[in-house]
Amino acid sequence: MSFTSWQYALFLPAVVLLYWRLPLRGRMGLLLAASYIFYGAWDARFLALLLTSTAIDFFCGLAIAGERHSALKVFAVASLPVAWLAGYPALQRLVPQLTAAPLDGAILGAAAAFPVVFTALYAALWRWPEARQRKAFLLLSILTNLGVLGFFKYFNFFGKSALALCAQLGFDPGWTLPHIILPVAISFYTFQSIAYAVDIYRGQAQPARDVLTFAAYLSFFPQLIAGPIERPNDLLPQFIKAATWEIADFHRGLRLILVGLFKKIFVGDNCALLANYAFDPKTELNAPWAVLGVVAFAFQIYGDFSGYTDIARGSARLLGIHLNWNFKFPYFARGPSEFWQRWHITLSAWFRDYVYIPLGGNRHGAARTLFNLWLTMLLAGLWHGASWIFVLWSAYHGALLILYRLVPGLNWLAESAEGPRWRVPLGMTLMFAFTLVGWAIFRCPNLAQLGAWFAAFGHWNNVGAVNWLKPTLWLLLHAAPLLLLQWLTWKSRDEIEFTHLPWAARGFIYTVLFLGIATSAATDVEFIYFQF
Amino acid sequence: MKTRPITKAFLLALALFCASELVVRVFFARNMSGRFEYGYNSTSGFEEKSDGTVRLVRAGGRRFHPQSFTRQRPDGVFRVMVIGDSVPRGGSLASSYAVQVGEQLNKLGVKAESFNLAVAGYGARRNQVVLQQALKYQPSLVILHVNNSNEYEDEREWRRAQEFQSWHPKNWLMKSLVLRRVHEMKTEKVFWEWLPPEIRNQRAVNDADAEVLASMDKNKIREWDELVRRKTAENIELARKAGAKVVLVTQARLERPPGGGAELNDYGLDELVEPLLGADVLRVSMKKVFASPGAAAVFADSAHLRPEGHKLLAAAIVEALRGQSKQ
Repeated sequence: MSFTSWQYALFLPAVVLLYWRLPLRGRMGLLLAASYIFYGAWDARFLALLLTSTAIDFFCGLAIAGERHSALKVFAVASLPVAWLAGYPALQRLVPQLTAAPLDGAILGAAAAFPVVFTALYAALWRWPEARQRKAFLLLSILTNLGVLGFFKYFNFFGKSALALCAQLGFDPGWTLPHIILPVAISFYTFQSIAYAVDIYRGQAQPARDVLTFAAYLSFFPQLIAGPIERPNDLLPQFIKAATWEIADFHRGLRLILVGLFKKIFVGDNCALLANYAFDPKTELNAPWAVLGVVAFAFQIYGDFSGYTDIARGSARLLGIHLNWNFKFPYFARGPSEFWQRWHITLSAWFRDYVYIPLGGNRHGAARTLFNLWLTMLLAGLWHGASWIFVLWSAYHGALLILYRLVPGLNWLAESAEGPRWRVPLGMTLMFAFTLVGWAIFRCPNLAQLGAWFAAFGHWNNVGAVNWLKPTLWLLLHAAPLLLLQWLTWKSRDEIEFTHLPWAARGFIYTVLFLGIATSAATDVEFIYFQF
Repeated sequence: MKTRPITKAFLLALALFCASELVVRVFFARNMSGRFEYGYNSTSGFEEKSDGTVRLVRAGGRRFHPQSFTRQRPDGVFRVMVIGDSVPRGGSLASSYAVQVGEQLNKLGVKAESFNLAVAGYGARRNQVVLQQALKYQPSLVILHVNNSNEYEDEREWRRAQEFQSWHPKNWLMKSLVLRRVHEMKTEKVFWEWLPPEIRNQRAVNDADAEVLASMDKNKIREWDELVRRKTAENIELARKAGAKVVLVTQARLERPPGGGAELNDYGLDELVEPLLGADVLRVSMKKVFASPGAAAVFADSAHLRPEGHKLLAAAIVEALRGQSKQ
């Protein structure tokens, strides 16, 4: 179910109304049911995967904290995925809208074996020496999460790359790769699961004591599909202690949803028209169109993803649950380091805490620091998608981070708190230009297309290219209101907060935002980050 | 500080929205009536007054030249109504061949009144909707301007008229006249005008481009020609039943071949209407009327006529009518 669909417009108020009428346990049950319906609207078969992750991380989390459960209970919870898959055909008969694709025998077999294998492994690990037990359960959690992510997300990529390499070497292994569908949200909830296990291991968080709360926490629908990637310490306590109704939360939630819809529908979807055209391999590009296309994409992806996050945070806030920031004026960053502190903040923080710092961070000299930075960026790029284009994009951003550290002039532009006033706009402009090159890499479907994009800068007057003047006006019409909104909210350091403005101005802004959304809502465009 | 459940800012936004909706519904009701049916509403632009007159107005998305006539045709008056697209509509009412026909008939001693019910961009389907309403006012003669270049526009407007029509939740916002109007304005004045077809084609819904592309397809053209033939036949039948005579004016377009000069092309329309002619159905072919060498001068562009062209066409229509009455 998409946040911009009419179904969600009915679904969310219904959940909110029910939620505030229920006691804590009832709320957890409601959230779990709502989240599974929300997720199942895409492909209900993959709920089995979510249930698998829930079973593993719930028991591993408790085990890391030293709490043991009976094998029977473990087996019962671990049997939920196979029970779901076994009951799926019956459910399909009841709800014909569910995905009709048949269930693969191998998947059913794996699901059937899972409770046996997991229970056996669970029991076996408890027999390990006490000093190694916690680490073993941590590894079990991390490896199974990464294993699931690796299989669904990267198997085809590495398989195809290996086959291509074999073909280059003149050798045909005769493999046929299975077609593996990437389940929606897998990159997000596996990372959240890993954070859960690691934080418990580090003693920074307490595990959930009951499976209902944990399942509701892991599948919480506002942030399930595309984040923010929450830490257990931030989110779990809000599930354990009943939230109290605050009118201020309700107002903020509605504001977040309004601004989020505006960013997605008015800015993102309309800028997408230009970006899609400019990055279409059939398009004859010239320099103005190369620039127009990438600037349009910059606003598209920002409007799309930060809009999604705002709606997610707003929806959660209506339920009295606070989610973390994911965006803070990213295009106003003066350097790459600051950019990543402003763009997809929860992912950047995840990689910082669970990859960069464990790799040694900046504690082992300058060269190792730069290597750690670059490697972390590379992995972050691969997280976005199994493609060499994302590897290139992340390598580029890694190189940018290194460049800004090594070149004093750039470092001064990005970091310095003192100096002439022009250094701030200059730093922002330069970083925005670098970001645009990064977006061009990110958006191009392949290297050939990327080459064509760069080559377009050699053709200023390509007769085959369509006129770019009026499309530029289209871009301005849809991007300028967002910039204006950012300018208005800059003072409060909060992308949706204009409480410092007089009420009449706020009322006018709400009207304009609503008009922008309502009059652009003829399309139903999927969020970009759903594919990750 | 205690937070109010409903803030002043929200109330202002709500009031602005409600007030503008109210203003539109109360003060612009006439203009908005049938507006979002894009010409498929039969009564749009026809305003029946309590004094027994009918006024043709620019309303409901139908831009008639403002005119008025009595609901009941006066005794002994030959009432002419012209239905078609931008060509018969003309640059001004006075110069259009619709009015010229009436004037020329009057000069010949016929007590006649003529009205121009043509609307720019109307194809066979929407012309039929206009005709059905026009026949309620007892025309003695209906002049149908037959053209086959507006069918894609008819199709597009039909789709637009269908859009947002149901009470499905996804259409709820567009039930507001203000929002629908802003959406329409954005589509027509910004989306269609600022973005080239290559980009607009990504959103085929609500856009002419799919149809424009289709208009280059020979099968589609054949389909549309058949539609024009069928609708014209139906229109003749409707007029017959209402006791009105019919003149079919077939459109011709001016083309300038690469070798120089100018020639007229009727795109098969003369032949298309041939089987429909009869004692009470005449044809006036623009290709024949403007066959003389200097005819290019009466065309304002490839299809539209200058006032002199309208005058010539009106004379040809009157001549055809005289010819018929002699028989």
